[in-house]
Amino acid sequence: MFTKLFNSSVKLNIILIISFSISVNSFTLFPNVNNAFYVLFHLTFIYLIFYHYHYYLYVVALVYGVLFDILLLNYVGTHLITFLSLLIFFVLLKKYLIRLSSYQIIFIYFITLIAFLLFEQILANLINNYKFNLSLIFNFFLISLIIFIPTVFLFTKLDK
Amino acid sequence: MAPKFQIKVFQISSFVKNFTIISIVTLSFLLVFFSKSDLYLINGIKNISSSVIIPITRVISAPLNVFSNFVDEYNKFTSLKFENKLLQEEIIRLKKWQTLAIQNSRENKVLKKLLNATDNNLSLVKTASLINRNDTIYTKLINLNAGYEDKIKKNMSAINERGLVGKVIDTTSNNSRVILLTDPNLSISVKSISDDIFSLLTGNGDGKYLVSSFVKENKMPRLGDIVVTSGTAQIFPVDLLVGKVAKVEKNRFFVLPFVDFENIDYLQIVTSK
Repeated sequence: MFTKLFNSSVKLNIILIISFSISVNSFTLFPNVNNAFYVLFHLTFIYLIFYHYHYYLYVVALVYGVLFDILLLNYVGTHLITFLSLLIFFVLLKKYLIRLSSYQIIFIYFITLIAFLLFEQILANLINNYKFNLSLIFNFFLISLIIFIPTVFLFTKLDK
Repeated sequence: MAPKFQIKVFQISSFVKNFTIISIVTLSFLLVFFSKSDLYLINGIKNISSSVIIPITRVISAPLNVFSNFVDEYNKFTSLKFENKLLQEEIIRLKKWQTLAIQNSRENKVLKKLLNATDNNLSLVKTASLINRNDTIYTKLINLNAGYEDKIKKNMSAINERGLVGKVIDTTSNNSRVILLTDPNLSISVKSISDDIFSLLTGNGDGKYLVSSFVKENKMPRLGDIVVTSGTAQIFPVDLLVGKVAKVEKNRFFVLPFVDFENIDYLQIVTSK
């Protein structure tokens, strides 16, 4: 009964909630923990879109987009636009993505993650006039390199 | 024979799906468009996020918080001996200063009487404690447990016993958000105490130093000069302690703030009288 209740989609959503909660509560001693969970949130969200696409993800994108924007930037915009545009892009490109091999998909997955994080910084600069933080982008890139493979491995295990 | 039960599978029609998606996209567009206005909906969302979502996220991230506190306590415990020595030296230094301060205070009182000057230009609005911080990614924001019901308004200054901490950028009924001085998106107008050199300071991005973005007449202050708010922008009250000049370059200088931004527990929200 529990295995049916806790299918991989539900487990991934629990990971989303946990990573969201940790990334919006700063720990002064471990600032990289916040960044790591922020990247993990993005990784999980992209994974959900790629492998568990469903219409409820639009609601998820709306809720998390608004909350991330208000808690991290104080104005709605950056995250909401990024999350929704990723969903729309996926729907438009789905027919091409299906044809790709698993290695190509993994590569696209990583590129999407980096582009996603970079796009958010650019949007924050354009919409909210926040200064473009190159060191933060570099930090996100390093964290992505470190956690990408283990996370994908964990997610595929969850799916099995 | 009893009839077989048939399970009717309810499938959402493509019309409903498309309608939901279009509604969400439209709602998002409206939210982005009106996010900088003081609309009831936007304020409502901000209110919910600070009074409902933040406590929930704190509960979920509690194990990590406990671990972080444990490491912090351990670090403090291991550095106790060294800290004790430093404190003893500071006590000796402060005792000398105290004698000087008492003399100056007496002199000050006499001079103020002669000039008919008022004592203080600050009025305390509320003392509030920190709920949580969002100072790692993007901006350097902290949330306080007092809002507009406690008469806190936007643009009021937040200080603690060491000096200026930041500025209130948003208030809800019981919470308010303060942007820290170290945020690269906040500028403050300051002056040096010894030479009255006026300049604008912003966060350096490293969370430690403030860097000058504009210096009036390109006059650089001296190393070790104390920097206070100038009050010229009429956002911060005049003469609030900001920091000490730590590094001077050809066209800019760096200021080390007096406030320890990693250890903020209570803040006072103040405004000019």
